[in-house]
Amino acid sequence: MSSLLELRDLSIRYGSTQVLNSLNLTVRDGEIVALLGPSGSGKSTLLNAVAGFLPIYSGEILLAGRNVATPRSTEPPERRDIAFVFQDYGLWPHLTALDTVAYPLRRRGVRLGPARDQARGILERLGIGALADRKPAQLSGGEQQRVGLARAMAREAAVYLFDEPTAHLDASLRDVFLTELAARRRESGAAAIYATHDAAEALGLADRVALLVAGQVIQDGSPQQLYSEPISVEAARLTGPASLLCGIEGPLLVRPDWVRLGGDRTGVVVDVWFRGSYTDYVLRTADGELLLRTPAPPVHERDEEVSWSLDRCWPMPEPR
Amino acid sequence: MRFGRAWVGAGLCLALASAAVLVVIPLAVLIKTSWVEGRGHLADVISSPGFGSAVAHSFELSAAATLLAVPVGVAIALALRDPRLPGRAFWRVAVILPVLVPDFVLSYSWLMAYGRAGLTSELFGFAWTHIQGPIGVSVIVAANAVPLVYLIIAVGLATRAEPITERAARASGAGPATVLWTIMLPLLAPAIATAAVLAFVLSMGAFAIPQVVGAPAGFGTITTRIYADLALGSNPEGFVEAIMLALLLVVVTLIVVTLAETVLGGRLQTGRTAARDTDWPTSSRITRVIVTTAMALYLMITSGLPLLALLSAAITRAIGVPSTPDNWTTDNFLAVLTPRTGYALGRSLLLALAAASVLIVLGSLAAALGRIRGGRILSVLITLTLVLPGSTLAVGFLIGYGRWLADTVVIILIAYLAKLWALAHRPMSAAVDRLPSASLHAARVSGAGLPTALATVVVPLLRPALLAAWGLCFLTALHEVTMSSLLYGPGSETLAVVVLNSAELGNVGATAALSVLVTAIVVLPGAALWVLSRPTAHRPRA
Repeated sequence: MSSLLELRDLSIRYGSTQVLNSLNLTVRDGEIVALLGPSGSGKSTLLNAVAGFLPIYSGEILLAGRNVATPRSTEPPERRDIAFVFQDYGLWPHLTALDTVAYPLRRRGVRLGPARDQARGILERLGIGALADRKPAQLSGGEQQRVGLARAMAREAAVYLFDEPTAHLDASLRDVFLTELAARRRESGAAAIYATHDAAEALGLADRVALLVAGQVIQDGSPQQLYSEPISVEAARLTGPASLLCGIEGPLLVRPDWVRLGGDRTGVVVDVWFRGSYTDYVLRTADGELLLRTPAPPVHERDEEVSWSLDRCWPMPEPR
Repeated sequence: MRFGRAWVGAGLCLALASAAVLVVIPLAVLIKTSWVEGRGHLADVISSPGFGSAVAHSFELSAAATLLAVPVGVAIALALRDPRLPGRAFWRVAVILPVLVPDFVLSYSWLMAYGRAGLTSELFGFAWTHIQGPIGVSVIVAANAVPLVYLIIAVGLATRAEPITERAARASGAGPATVLWTIMLPLLAPAIATAAVLAFVLSMGAFAIPQVVGAPAGFGTITTRIYADLALGSNPEGFVEAIMLALLLVVVTLIVVTLAETVLGGRLQTGRTAARDTDWPTSSRITRVIVTTAMALYLMITSGLPLLALLSAAITRAIGVPSTPDNWTTDNFLAVLTPRTGYALGRSLLLALAAASVLIVLGSLAAALGRIRGGRILSVLITLTLVLPGSTLAVGFLIGYGRWLADTVVIILIAYLAKLWALAHRPMSAAVDRLPSASLHAARVSGAGLPTALATVVVPLLRPALLAAWGLCFLTALHEVTMSSLLYGPGSETLAVVVLNSAELGNVGATAALSVLVTAIVVLPGAALWVLSRPTAHRPRA
């Protein structure tokens, strides 16, 4: 797979505040990369730089092998092969859903009639064909989200950028988008970067996850890899709930679903959380507090002593 | 916010009584008098040659000034949007600064800069001979309206055309020009329409500029004709004509505003809060250089040179002599610093102080009452005063209260209150709308009585708006001349009237010196206010 987007030693500053710090990231053809990080970690800044909304301070951005941004020159957004799905939708108050989606087509020189026909087709694929004549003020948040996605799809870009969409992509939308991405790939190559602070969303959606902390990618790999082999406690906490046991084997990372009730070890129940399809217990053990998840209703109470065992664990690398 | 019922009742009574005294009675009296007195003379008045030409001139002037001011204001607002424009903060203030210069001073300065024997004539041998005609008056009225257009468009840009809409268009493949045409201008259409309506209405009511620049050359408008009828003539026909013209001014203004309101519907309001600036590389370096140069040129031509000419005339010994250090003198200043000027200055300052202080109370009252039924009628009445020409109000007050208050400062104060109420109401009601809705409740449940809650929570939150409203009213009252020139009598003239009279007597050096004084007393408090309010205007970068 060739790399479609490459960020090399990318640094971005607002005044004297460094937001991205010598960041490197490669997005390959056909990939959906989740950019996972806490708020303020630079996710939006990274997407804005890729889109061409921000000048960069140092480094470079390569899009399909072409240099689109250096500290000296910035290719304007309309000349980059990108599409953007905005957090707050970014719809135009004066245009109907249909004309909004037809807008990128019109900019490519498609005539009004055919552009509207195509736009209608995209809206229908996203299940909002009936809303074609409405303006943003007449649409709900989720509907505006779909119009925003439809507009991005109409752009037929190489790289789709999702800036932490307020309304998450639900399963049906995701499927439509994946089909679209596959079709685009066959034609010319396409990929997506999806910024989010929601670990479950990132792990469930992406082919690859890049963990962004304080303007740097601290870990980059498949969702399974990030979940089961985090490089640091911080990386572990960002990718889901985890406990840290400090026994004689050194620090051990334990995900709640890696622990089972019953076995040779013991602990005291500190808290019980019934969460519907599963139950979380917080246990006090000799090696520290432990979160344990079982797919059953609560059977133990607070202060009760229970036995437990580990299915697996991940020895934490020594902190540098 | 919920007040006690008694408080609401008392507040509403006070506000409605003020509205009756300040707006309803003068208008009613005006209409009644025109009916009683006007019936017999109507035909004579309308057929008199000056009447028709004054009406025609007013329309031409308003149309031309609007057509000039709107594109310029829109262009400036769009240009100053670029966060990377060098000196952007300075330009933003500089564009509005001419508002601090009284309009009669502005017109006088233009004459001194570009007229016969003016500064450009002296320096480059260029004199604009037609400045004292329809074109000159239109250009100056337009230059005076540009800051207003700019402000409305800038607010429209901040509230309707957020940077994200522009980004979305760029990411959809539109270049800067396409974005302007397909996104920005359509989004700004309501703001542009609002600006055009206000520019038209203001030009219609403009008095000082046509009086100083146009009238001496025979270009009279409705407003200057009212002035001529009341101030110079004392025959009953002139009085009737003034009333008819005053009413006509209201009718035209109301028709324009109503039409705009009907066509544009509720779109004239902007409800959302302003977006933050974001770094946005919209322009190339060359564009920025061009924009900066154009801004500098524009400000130089519209205010820099005129004010320089004014200053030069004020410190030069006589007309016609070159303004070199040898010919500099303080005689002009000494000549005008008479007890009469001193009293007028004192009166102006007192009037402005009193008006501003009463107005923030009236403005806050109307803003607080804005959400109940009686209060909404009140806000409509107040907004009406915004578009009521000063000349009309003044004539109404003369007929309504002249019997008791003619030639006193009280009638001038009442006129200021009426004309400027909307000016105080706007920022106050905007600030009240932005108040966190629970703030007053939270204070009450924490044990504060209503007065304590207002003093400890609401007033501190409203302080910037209160300061802004006070300053705006103070400055506007200080350089008000349209109504003052109709209402003053012996012993109640304001400084602005003294300047206007001096200009009419053709006393160049003295008028220039007075103008410099009157500008200084407006600009210095304005600058102080700006410096004081800067910390609150500070916003962190995105």
